[in-house]
Parts: sequence; C-alpha cells; structure tokens
Amino acid sequence: MGGDCEPVNSKRGTLNNHSGFSPPSPFHSGKWLVRTCLYAVLFLWVSPAALAQQADQSGTAATIRALEHEWAEGQSRVDARALDLIFDNALVYLEYGSLVSKGEYLARIKRQNPQLDLITYEGTTVRIFGGTALVIGTYAEKRTRTGKTEAQRWRFIDTWAYKNGSWVLIAAGAAPITR
Amino acid sequence: MRLFYLILAFGIFGAGIAYAQVSNDFGMESKLMAMEQIEKVQAPRTKDFKALDAMLDEAFACVDPEGNLLNKAEVLAHLQTDSSIEFVPNSLAVRIQGNTAIVTGLYWKKVMQHGRPFVRRSRFVDTWLYKGGRWVAIASLSTPSEVH
Repeated sequence: MGGDCEPVNSKRGTLNNHSGFSPPSPFHSGKWLVRTCLYAVLFLWVSPAALAQQADQSGTAATIRALEHEWAEGQSRVDARALDLIFDNALVYLEYGSLVSKGEYLARIKRQNPQLDLITYEGTTVRIFGGTALVIGTYAEKRTRTGKTEAQRWRFIDTWAYKNGSWVLIAAGAAPITR
Repeated sequence: MRLFYLILAFGIFGAGIAYAQVSNDFGMESKLMAMEQIEKVQAPRTKDFKALDAMLDEAFACVDPEGNLLNKAEVLAHLQTDSSIEFVPNSLAVRIQGNTAIVTGLYWKKVMQHGRPFVRRSRFVDTWLYKGGRWVAIASLSTPSEVH
C-alpha cells in the first residue's frame, strides 16, 4: 500500500527503471480505478448481505425471546392451547430430573396451581445456528407446597427449531444451581 | 393399463425415497449414539482431547449437574483434571429434526469424594447440529436425576 504512494523518482523507481523491469504504476495505468471500482462493488454487494444477515439474526433472536415470554405467560395462565402451538410434538423436556413428553408437560400444567409458583427470569442469551436456536439463561423459582415455600435457582438451555415456517421448542432442560 | 404402471412406478419410487429416508435417519441415529459414547466415555477416559475438540462446536455451551455454565475451553480444561473413575451412559434416545438432533439419556458417574467412591446419577439433553458435513455438539445439559 505504501509502495503505491511513493513518488516516481524514488529510489525503488530508479532501480526498477535501471534494471528494465519496471511494472507500470497502478496510478498511471488506471488499474487503480478498476481495483477501486471492484472493491466498491464488492463492498456494496457484501455489506447489505452482512447487514441483512445481522438484521435477520436480531429479528430471529427477538422472535425467540417473544416465544419464551409467550411460554411463561401461557404457563401462568394455564393456557395449554397456546403452549401446544409453541411446543413441537416431539418435545423432550427435562424437569426436576425427569424426562417428560409434550403431553405429560401439558397435563402437568393443567393440574398445577399457577398462583403457588413464581418464576423470575434473571437473564437469557439467544444463540442462532441457522434453523436452530439455543436460549441459555437462569431463573429463580419459588414453589409453595403443603404450606412450605421452597426457593431454587435454575440454569436452563432451550432448543428451538424452525419448522414449517415457525419456530417451535424441541428440547428444554434445567439444572439446579447448587453453588 | 398404462395408468396402472404409472401409479405403480410412482409408488415404488415413493417407497424407495421413504426407505432411503428411514435408513438414512437410522444411520444418523447410530452415528450420533456412537459419537455420544466417544464424547462421554472414550475420549474423557483416554484424555483424547483432539477427538473432543472436533466434536464440540466452538460455541458449545454446557450446563453441568451443579448448574454451572461452561464453554468449550472450560469443558476441555475440566476433563483434563476430572477424577471420575467410571462413566456409564444409559437409555440413550436420538430424535433427529432436520439438521438438529436431540439426544437424551442417563449416566452414572463414579467419582472419588473424600477418599470414598460415590455414584452420581444424572440425566442429560444434548443438542447436535449437522454443520459442514458432520455432526457437532452445540449444547449439553445435565441435571441430577434424583431431584424432585
């Protein structure tokens, strides 16, 4: 780069002229114009694609976050119909050390009293891998059973997949934070 | 008659595609089960970090049974100092959804605690992604199976 800006009577130019092996300066041959145009075209072609991809990623992340919120809302409202749309039929859910299916999870939601459980999300991160997305985060849970209130913090990973034009939850699990 | 042969041809073609899909899924399932064995049993035992490095995606996230969040480098570093003496996965199940696979199962891990062997039973959910012509693990979560 620095070489291109050297004056023509520089030492390097003189030596090259003397040896008879002097490549024409890109500034003089007009090649620089071609090169600049090529770079400009490349930049204009790549940057919208990169921006579009970035916008797409943030759009997907927002969609996934909204679905996570819908899931929490649906659970607190005991709205099995809303949850049915969010959950894939082959959902695997790992809760309290047991593996439950979509049907079992929805049946449990219908049985539980949502007023006895309080879940507070503490922070989540969304990672997108094309048609797969991971949500990693923590939440605090307060459960009241037989008059006793238990508090526990959990770390979770949810896996979402883009299927038939929408994102669905295909796997979820949480581990108790013990330290 | 011509229509019959046409329908028959389409039927055979369709069945062939369906069979290929099923056998392909079955092959993928077997491959993922084998990879789980390598990831959870063989590589930690033989300290084959090169195999693990190839199997874990750079953005790999792991939640261990204590609820700690570890990245790929932390997982590899942890395995270098892991004192477990036995690691037995069980009840493995693979569900493939497009280029994503969910593997669930149980494992028993025998560790030494205060000089005495202690068995820890955990259940896990692993997420694999078919990327660049191979399966890589992008997430793994384990939780104690005794928690109720």
